[in-house]
Amino acid sequence: MADDLRLAHRNRILAVKDLPTLPKVLEEVTRLVADPNSSTDQVAKLIAYDQVLSAKVLKMVNSPIYGFPGRIGSIQHALVLLGLNVIKGVIISTSVFDFMISTMNGLWEHSLGCALACTEIAKVAGLEEPEEYSVPGLLHDLGKVVTAVQLPDIRQELDATVKERDCTYREAEALVIGFTHEAVNGWLAQHWRLPLKIREGMAWHHAPTRAEHYPAAACVVHLADFLVKAYEYGFSGDDQVPYLDPNALKILKLDGDALDTVMDALAEKFLEVADISFS
Amino acid sequence: MADMLDTSPAFDPSCCRQRGMVITADPALTAMLDALWPAQDVCWQAFERASRAMEELYAEPPDLLLVDECLPDMSGLELAMAVKSENVYRQMPVVLVLRGPEALDSLDWSAMEVDEFLLRPFSPVEIRSRLALALARATRTLDANPLSKLPGNTSIIQRVQHLVEAGAEFGLAYVDLDNFKSFNDKYGFSRGDEALMMTARLLVNVVREHPQQAPAMHFVGHVGGDDFVFILPATQVEAACRAVCARFDAIVPSFYDEDDRRRGGIRSTDRQGNAQDFPLMSLSIAVVLNHNAKLTHAGEAASMAAALKKKAKAISGSSYVMDQRQR
Repeated sequence: MADDLRLAHRNRILAVKDLPTLPKVLEEVTRLVADPNSSTDQVAKLIAYDQVLSAKVLKMVNSPIYGFPGRIGSIQHALVLLGLNVIKGVIISTSVFDFMISTMNGLWEHSLGCALACTEIAKVAGLEEPEEYSVPGLLHDLGKVVTAVQLPDIRQELDATVKERDCTYREAEALVIGFTHEAVNGWLAQHWRLPLKIREGMAWHHAPTRAEHYPAAACVVHLADFLVKAYEYGFSGDDQVPYLDPNALKILKLDGDALDTVMDALAEKFLEVADISFS
Repeated sequence: MADMLDTSPAFDPSCCRQRGMVITADPALTAMLDALWPAQDVCWQAFERASRAMEELYAEPPDLLLVDECLPDMSGLELAMAVKSENVYRQMPVVLVLRGPEALDSLDWSAMEVDEFLLRPFSPVEIRSRLALALARATRTLDANPLSKLPGNTSIIQRVQHLVEAGAEFGLAYVDLDNFKSFNDKYGFSRGDEALMMTARLLVNVVREHPQQAPAMHFVGHVGGDDFVFILPATQVEAACRAVCARFDAIVPSFYDEDDRRRGGIRSTDRQGNAQDFPLMSLSIAVVLNHNAKLTHAGEAASMAAALKKKAKAISGSSYVMDQRQR
């Protein structure tokens, strides 16, 4: 891959102005923010199911205008600080995917599944504030969404490469665009001033031992991604069984029994979220 | 006519609500200004020469200053700059009167400390609005806290006084941060500002969540430093205090470094070398209720709140104390 082509791709990706989301979540959130009796808590719960809306809200609250960049990593807190007026503005200016909806659907479920798995793993691993780990889980494939939106021509090439070579989506990314979605995650998280813990979880979930400050966050997302794919919950771009780095389990101090506990809890969670289908 | 005013220092500023000062050699301008508002709303003091106006300007600064571009003894711009370069007079809105649209070509607004301009030939309707706007803008922007942009002390006192006079049943909440100093000392003032910005934002949103009633009471002000004020109808203020405390306590740990968050506070050493532990920041809120219009003056509310605040401070974690005294 020529350097200048890779740079051109990177620049196009970072020029992202608007991220469209799926109609089902957007409709529901729109209805809720228009209802004068709804609370920010209700809206926060709903937004926490959607990686695009969550990313937008976190980007907004961590922008320098509000005066505390990089501090807020929870959707709940973000909503309390932004207020419903600002949320309404964000929602109104969010558009809907009218292309590749089926793929996005799969990715939406994969991301949500990963967010749930992160919380369970963090709980079993005895990490503090286990709910905080759901956000990097939710956003761990955002780079794929942004790439698809910014480089629509290249998206088809990625899908074709996955099919032809029978490789992972990530391998296809490296071949076709010259970098992978975690790199995009890292750029976006930095560009949007997301808290470091979220950034490292997003950027190092395929190489968790390389996270400099929050290796636990990267390990949690790494393991969650693996489990969700093993459960075949949602679709993240390919059918490959991902690689699980044994060091991630070591860092989290998880043994086989602990993993069983996580998997049992997850099976139940997945049944629960099957009920929150918006369709 | 202008000369006559020039020599009559018996000007009583207390007689009018707003005081304007105009410095011009053009009697038509003075006459037009006098006709814009009834004298009991705005009264104009006119000077023909800048030199004659200076002392009065500095001793009794008007609410609004109009300066003609060309004056017999100096340029209007020079006068405007002289006034604006003194910090204590900076808040005074200065309006420059230009000879006509052709004057605009040679002006560099970014280099001039002027708040508004008027063009000849005059349109009285437009001038009336422009001057009213300049006055309103000056009160809005200059009273605002430079960090949070929330209204400051002047606006707070005005609002409280207004509600007291209207006999409104309102609750006035005084909010301040506990352990803010230790946070500031350890992390530096810019991190301290982050915590203040968060608090301001939190208050604005909680207050806005409560439905508006007549008369409008919803208000958030920034007294300065780590002191804030909010006003809500008496029936809504307690619920708001609960929400403010709960949300603050949930969010504030994010503003500490990981190790302090885990420890639940900051450890530092005092001047004697003794280790001292400071818990995470929390809020103390003192609420003064204007039941049955018991307050007669804005100052009363402030002194009652000061006493209540001591009670709230004594409670650890975020807490509020409501004033129970009835009259």
